Amino acid sequence: MTAWSQASLRHAAPALAVGTVLLLAPLQLGGYQTGQLAQYLTYGIFAMSLALVWGQGGLLCFGQAVFFGIGAYAMSVTTLDMLPGIGTLGSTWLGLVAAIALPALFANLLGRFLFYGRGLQGAYFGIVTLSIAVIAERIAVNWKWIGGLNGLMNVPPLNLGLTGDGYEIWGNLPVYYVTLAVAALVYAGLQALIGSRYGTVIRAVRDAEERTGYFGYDTAGVKLTVFTLGAALAGLAGALFVTQFYFASPPLIGFTLSTEVLIWVALGGRGYPLAAFLGAILVKYAEAKLFEFVGAYWLLALGALCVLSVIWFPRGLIGEAIYRFEGWSRATPEQAQ
Amino acid sequence: MDQLLILALDASNFILAIILVAMGLVIIFGLMNVINMAHGEFFLLGAYTVVMVESAGGHFWLGLLLAPLFVGLVGVVLEELVIRHVYHRFLDTILATWGLSIFIKQAVVLIFGPASLTVTTPITATVEIVGAPYPVYRLFIMGVSLAVIALTFWLFFRTRFGLTARGVIANRNMASCLGINTRRLDRMTFAFGAALAGLAGAVMAPIMSVDPQMGLGFLVPAFLAILVGGAGHLAGTLMGAAVIGGADTVAANLWSSVVAQIVVFSMAIVAIRLFPRGIAGAWLKQ
Repeated sequence: MTAWSQASLRHAAPALAVGTVLLLAPLQLGGYQTGQLAQYLTYGIFAMSLALVWGQGGLLCFGQAVFFGIGAYAMSVTTLDMLPGIGTLGSTWLGLVAAIALPALFANLLGRFLFYGRGLQGAYFGIVTLSIAVIAERIAVNWKWIGGLNGLMNVPPLNLGLTGDGYEIWGNLPVYYVTLAVAALVYAGLQALIGSRYGTVIRAVRDAEERTGYFGYDTAGVKLTVFTLGAALAGLAGALFVTQFYFASPPLIGFTLSTEVLIWVALGGRGYPLAAFLGAILVKYAEAKLFEFVGAYWLLALGALCVLSVIWFPRGLIGEAIYRFEGWSRATPEQAQ
Repeated sequence: MDQLLILALDASNFILAIILVAMGLVIIFGLMNVINMAHGEFFLLGAYTVVMVESAGGHFWLGLLLAPLFVGLVGVVLEELVIRHVYHRFLDTILATWGLSIFIKQAVVLIFGPASLTVTTPITATVEIVGAPYPVYRLFIMGVSLAVIALTFWLFFRTRFGLTARGVIANRNMASCLGINTRRLDRMTFAFGAALAGLAGAVMAPIMSVDPQMGLGFLVPAFLAILVGGAGHLAGTLMGAAVIGGADTVAANLWSSVVAQIVVFSMAIVAIRLFPRGIAGAWLKQ
């Protein structure tokens, strides 16, 4: 092997390892658990969207679930044929388009308002997005058309037909592998973006917005792109989630899920999409496993873990591991020489 | 006219309640540059201190006295254990205090259960205001809030502590070079802010249902009040609270409390975007 391919292999090693484990996981898990894991995968995609917005873009968004929720509701409303005037066109495909486009559009308009001109700085952005999450949940609870407090039930599963009557992706295994494939695609896309020239610009805006501006970059535009892209991914995750959960309700769009995803990403590691992805899956998995034993102490432990991780491992628990592995694998060739 | 007076009274009530919560928050934010997401839980701890004192057979007033002391002590401990490690990482303070908020809230659930509790109202008398009975205790809360405002302004503009504190806000490095112990000041500030939140929780407890979620309802309006008013000024918080609380009361009267919250929060976001330095900031610049 050439030195270059060795280096890139080492670079990709953690992701390949995780991918292999996830590919083989259903062999060990029962049907129900596979279904659960498929749901966690959608949370993982959701976490990766926040890792992009927060970890790369430096935008601490306290309302990422707003976009997840819009995606979930858009998918539900479309596939339940609730849209007037589209007849039987309410297919999965149209739902996916709506679930990606609507959150992106909303994020774009919001971003245009918040980033341009004098713009909002760090903490202000957090508090404004926090308020938006509260508003969104209030609206979802009180909007009769989308089911109000009860939400929308009997959302159909993914369907490959163009008009909603084709092959249904149904059953734990097919759903799991389809979700895993989407997660892998999202991951690969994000890695490509992060590794690209534009990815460097994004991080430059995060670390030193003013200086990057002096180099002639449109920093508000960069933030807008990142925010919009993150919202689109969160919407996609929400759409996938609701086709597995069959139920869209106000908690999906609100404050609680927004802060939950923040904790997954903080614990996993905001700097790496893989770390954020694993953070979501592991926290949800541990919650399901441990809740029957520790009950209400689970949240207590999660809060404490979050504090400790912020103090000692600002890169996140998994992020720190990946960071050390990368440092170690970079260091080896020189040491070997 | 009478209805207008009642509306004004309700509005002042809500405004002063927001100020009571926001004062501690803005002091911690302004002086230490820490966004304290656990402030709602300090409020919660204040209310539960009263519950504890009452269940131990003590009187409400004893609880009201102990609440700021206890929560202030919690503030000192948390500052030492957590906050001081993340001062230099601004956005991380939000996360760390958010973790604290989950921890405290869940600890309260474990100790007291998730159900809502009640605290006896210490003053049950009512006074007649324009022909309608009005609880005296609400007037008492407004009085406490006014006293807190007066105390805070006195502390910051009339004492040596206040002078040092304003020096640190203006230029932390320079203040430190001049021999001010910023470390001690930070600890005292955080404790003072926490104590104010504890006092707010205790004094509000009789008119609210005391449950583990009660802190959040005030946290968001308080934050918005600070940002709308301008985080750099104590007076800004008063103006911000007046705008948020006043608009909310009027909108709730015109439509419903849900619509009021949506409208007021949205308005606040627009205001924060148009005047990033707050009403006070925009006003003082002229």
